[in-house]
Amino acid sequence: RYVRQLQRLQLLFSPTAADARGARQFVEEAAQDFARQHPDVVLYVSPHSGPGPAPVLRAEYLNGTVREELIASRTSEEILQLATKLANQSGLDIIRIRKPFHTDNPSVQGQWHPLTNKPSILTVQGPRLQPQ
Amino acid sequence: MVVLSAARWLRSRLTDRFWRVQEVLKYARHFRGRKNRCYRLAVRSVRRAFVRSTKARREKKRFLRALWITRIEAASLEHGLKYPAFISNLSKSQVELNRKVLADLAIYEPKTFKSLAALAQRRRQEGFLAALGDGKEPEGIFSRIVHQHY
Repeated sequence: RYVRQLQRLQLLFSPTAADARGARQFVEEAAQDFARQHPDVVLYVSPHSGPGPAPVLRAEYLNGTVREELIASRTSEEILQLATKLANQSGLDIIRIRKPFHTDNPSVQGQWHPLTNKPSILTVQGPRLQPQ
Repeated sequence: MVVLSAARWLRSRLTDRFWRVQEVLKYARHFRGRKNRCYRLAVRSVRRAFVRSTKARREKKRFLRALWITRIEAASLEHGLKYPAFISNLSKSQVELNRKVLADLAIYEPKTFKSLAALAQRRRQEGFLAALGDGKEPEGIFSRIVHQHY
């Protein structure tokens, strides 16, 4: 069953700043629908009064990564798109994957070592023969 | 007083020179010498590094194929077969395994590789018999070609 990797979304904005207008419109219009459509994500709306840091959308994932996206001077639809994108991501960091495959058990028959194809006299120690 | 335009003595300053320089220097941090600190030297080195990395993508394919061939040659010599004999007889027995997979098998599955070497050896013997023997039409088990109808 699918488990959504996004734990919580924190919407930090100021109710008076000019660049948080999109954030305020998002909270008024689309935040409730977004929360209803994604029932396993907790949405926190925390307005801090007065001039403060820039409006930010903080996403926390199940593996502990915290991703912050600036929403200053963005429209409500763009913030909704951003939120859905973050909700569909997992918390793995976005870097180049070196190989598209990975195994914990690469060898089933035993990895090759210089003595695999040699006669077993070299490796096996038989019972010590008693001096007759 | 009404100000309709900025006074002519107000000139704009470049404020994000630091970040423009850091964008280049971040790719030069692991270089040797002054090219990892000084922007003027770093720009040239970073550009050459990027050009070399794009050109090397074509070389990487050749390099990896040569590496696989070396490994398969070493593994098949352990079982008494030379690389050209191994590869040609394997493809004549309709075993379409590429060199990457053969090299991985030789490292991680030595028994499977031994059986593949035995298969190639048997096919080689059948080829010799078919070419030289030509007496009593012996059955070549591994020389029969399986036709796939898709």
